[in-house]
Amino acid sequence: MTRIVVIDNHGQFTHLEHRALRDLGVDVELLDNDTPAEEIDADGVVLSGGPDMDRIGNCADYLELDVPVLGICLGMQILAAELDGAVGSGDYGGYADVNVEILDDEDPLVGSLAPETRVWASHADEVKELPEGFVHTGTSDVCGIESMSDTDRDLYGVQWHPEVAHTEEGQAVFENFLGICEQ
Amino acid sequence: MVDAESFIDDAVEEIREAVGEEHAVIALSGGVDSSVAAALAYEAIGDQLTPVYVDTGLMREGETEQIRDTFSYMDSLRVVAAEDRFLGALEGVTDPEEKRKVIGEQFIREFEREAKESDAEYLVQGTIYPDRIESEGNIKSHHNVGGLPDVVDFEGIVEPVRDLYKDEVREVARELGLEEIISERMPFPGPGLAVRVIGEVTKEKVEVARAACHVVEEEVEEHDPWQAFAAVIGKGTGVKGDNRVHGWIVSVRSVESRDGMTARAQELPWETLQRIQSRITGENENVARVVYDVTHKPPATIEYE
Repeated sequence: MTRIVVIDNHGQFTHLEHRALRDLGVDVELLDNDTPAEEIDADGVVLSGGPDMDRIGNCADYLELDVPVLGICLGMQILAAELDGAVGSGDYGGYADVNVEILDDEDPLVGSLAPETRVWASHADEVKELPEGFVHTGTSDVCGIESMSDTDRDLYGVQWHPEVAHTEEGQAVFENFLGICEQ
Repeated sequence: MVDAESFIDDAVEEIREAVGEEHAVIALSGGVDSSVAAALAYEAIGDQLTPVYVDTGLMREGETEQIRDTFSYMDSLRVVAAEDRFLGALEGVTDPEEKRKVIGEQFIREFEREAKESDAEYLVQGTIYPDRIESEGNIKSHHNVGGLPDVVDFEGIVEPVRDLYKDEVREVARELGLEEIISERMPFPGPGLAVRVIGEVTKEKVEVARAACHVVEEEVEEHDPWQAFAAVIGKGTGVKGDNRVHGWIVSVRSVESRDGMTARAQELPWETLQRIQSRITGENENVARVVYDVTHKPPATIEYE
């Protein structure tokens, strides 16, 4: 069975990421973000959202595990900050309903949601510059970079919350990520 | 999704094994989690279980009578009338977290006395999966986790629904035949109406909140919200029968949600909103104004404090 670990960055929705994957029939475990990378044995890693970039524990190390990584909200910002992208505060906080335009309908993570998908978001900061190797896959009126993918390294990020009930096609994002992990 | 039938068999067996021939207590709040935990435990060990319901005076309209009724099949049920003690402890307290703390502590005092009297060796709790995580997240302090075991020296704690989500607990409640009022009941915060009153909790404000919540629940029923209620948020001016009044401002909230983690403010018809304001201002002479909260979660929370 495919095994995915969800890294808890102290986000209030982390347990819903655990649930979304559990409902897909995946072997899923929730781990604190101070878990040493060498103790992680998984086919994929989800970096949860959270309140604070200063409390991301060992998240940077998990990017070296050579398994697919899905960063959600703060988790996506971690990808940008730890690689060579940039994170800053948005002009307009993204809360609740947001319409995301999918820019790449071939993308393995969010392409199936094209042309547009209605999501639920909760963030003040956002990714300002893509790291090297990433493709910009989604955008909205309130946040330029809503999603990004690096299919060579299998690193993926979404700024919104696919795990919450009000995101319309959230489960599809997890199914797509699972598909990536099973390749 | 949980398979309710086999879950119940397993849970009953687990409780029976854990408690054995000893006595156990459970704090019954009237919410679906503790109701399910109590029903499972009662099925497992019968009157070796003492369910304790504390009427804090911060409950919804008719709630205490309903609990007494629903759980009348449990001979060992104890209902504790504690309104005066709770309101007394809350006097002068305005900070939301402090309110929760005061209520939690008073609750523990009430429960501790009952637990000692019943000679219980085991504590049964209706902790559900998100409770275990939210308590770490520092959003709000939950009062059904922690606290009690520090004061009362139990042999063990049994948490039969610890791995379930809210909607799964409801599934189990239906399978247990707990009538609809319990299994489909709207969520209600642990500290009760105290967090539906901004600022100091007084008997007058609690009574307004209780009456207004009742009106809202009745009027929005056909729109089937996940949760709907009213809160007393401050004072403002009004004019009633040519007299200027300085009365309470009541905020009405009705949201759609799956699990309470995110919520959408419901688009209620104007006529429904008007009927709500008319009833609340008409039935409560000290209410001057009714407003409708249109904020989703995030950025707001569902409850006010």
